[in-house]
Amino acid sequence: MAEAQAYWSGLFGPDLGFWIAYLTNGKHIAFYASVQFTLIAALAGGAFALLFGLLGAGARLSGFWPLRGLGFVYTNMVRGIPDVLFILFFPLAFEQAVEALRALTLCSPETIAAQNGAWPPCAEANWILGTPEYLALASVTLGLVYGAFAANVMSGAMRAVAPGQIEAARAFGFSAADVFWRFRVRQMWAYALPGLSNVWMLVIKATSLLSLLQIADIVLWANRLGQPNFSRSAGVIHGDWRWAYYLVLFIFYIGLTYVSEKAFLSLTRRARRGMAIVGNAP
Amino acid sequence: MTQLTAVLADIALLAKPALFNLYFAFASIPIGFLFAIFLALGKASRHGLLRRLSSSYIYMFRGSPLFIQFFMIYSMVLALNLSVWKPLGIDGIVLNPLVLGPVVLALNTTAYTAEILFGALTSVPRGEIEAARAFGFSPGTRFRRIVWPHMIRLAWPAYTNEVVFLFHATTLVYFTLPVIDDQKDLMTKAGELFQRDFNVLLHYSVAGLYFLACSLAIFVVSGLIYRRLTRHMPGAAQRWRFTLISPLR
Repeated sequence: MAEAQAYWSGLFGPDLGFWIAYLTNGKHIAFYASVQFTLIAALAGGAFALLFGLLGAGARLSGFWPLRGLGFVYTNMVRGIPDVLFILFFPLAFEQAVEALRALTLCSPETIAAQNGAWPPCAEANWILGTPEYLALASVTLGLVYGAFAANVMSGAMRAVAPGQIEAARAFGFSAADVFWRFRVRQMWAYALPGLSNVWMLVIKATSLLSLLQIADIVLWANRLGQPNFSRSAGVIHGDWRWAYYLVLFIFYIGLTYVSEKAFLSLTRRARRGMAIVGNAP
Repeated sequence: MTQLTAVLADIALLAKPALFNLYFAFASIPIGFLFAIFLALGKASRHGLLRRLSSSYIYMFRGSPLFIQFFMIYSMVLALNLSVWKPLGIDGIVLNPLVLGPVVLALNTTAYTAEILFGALTSVPRGEIEAARAFGFSPGTRFRRIVWPHMIRLAWPAYTNEVVFLFHATTLVYFTLPVIDDQKDLMTKAGELFQRDFNVLLHYSVAGLYFLACSLAIFVVSGLIYRRLTRHMPGAAQRWRFTLISPLR
């Protein structure tokens, strides 16, 4: 019981000066700075998701059946296989593919014979990834996984575009590409945005998984800073404060969701201006 | 041929870990479903405080990553260990991933399911409720006989999605909670096998196959249930689509 009492008084006891000093020390500055990784991965992942989503939706509506089949497989694979698996698998597979390519030029029979482990083929072919590389890989992976969801949303939205618009465009002699880009894609946003908002929320939430790819993101820092902190000179600085750090992250993500929701609402309103629907009273 | 034997060996090795994923899913889904009914009714209630509490619970758990929820709840439970669980002598139960994992998953799926059920609840045709009222049904009977059957039919496709995504989310349990002895789920075991021979394609594909097979089984069984739910509505089962509304995590 005494131990518990010491824990709580340690948490609420120190004065304001302590808190200001504590929350602005070097490690905390690094913690705040690591928010950039979350935001970069979210924005880049979202952009890639939009790109892959557009490609996937286009493939699903294609008249060429192998492309249509590919689009079907792509948009449905995320329903059967967890996103976490892709997020772990894709960067590893990409790294190994690059290493296999490097091995073709960098390895000699002697270096291959000198290699003990199963991978890489030789020590020279080893590709050491830093945070920027992992961040890029994570963004592409997020884009691939959530692009499949976006493709689902967008192919539905493209089908929702009034057929008369497409027929009129064809009658005016627009090329197939122009009909697709200037009419289908141009008009689908009003229908796609609510669904894309959901996909964006998924991307945001998936950025919490960056620490699985050895990126020192907010989750990793929260875990590091919250660990019981002892030092030989000062004794116990604090006990296990991880819950407080994770609570902050919990609130941070809810805030991110809230802001995104508001942004998407105004975007949707903008995309739907002028449409004859119940939401737009004359 | 060696590839085939390697795949078969992996299938055998990952069979037991797959049971852990299934356990986590099936331990949390019924609890989540039950609580979600009350939460959805709470969000639709006329009582202001009740409505606000239910809505904010749903918003908080749908608006933050499950990964963070796992870390947060685990560290909170851990912080209470010395003052609460240890003196009560239940620290071994509370901190066990086989107990804590389903608890966190249930807290999460409750929010998602409640949102789905709430959406369905607000889509029940008003005329049916008015008719039931005119016939003198009590509020309890009205819910059981009129609202609930309608609501569950509307919610079922989206709820199926939620069940599959919850099954996928069970991968996060052992990324956050301690792995005890040989209690490994699919991703933990696949990662361990990967560390041994660095064959990423083999191990992760076989783990993916297990997820794919289980997800397909869930979709098929759920489709049969939906067919039964809509057996009086010709053509409804054919219109069965996995809509992308709100069940996503």
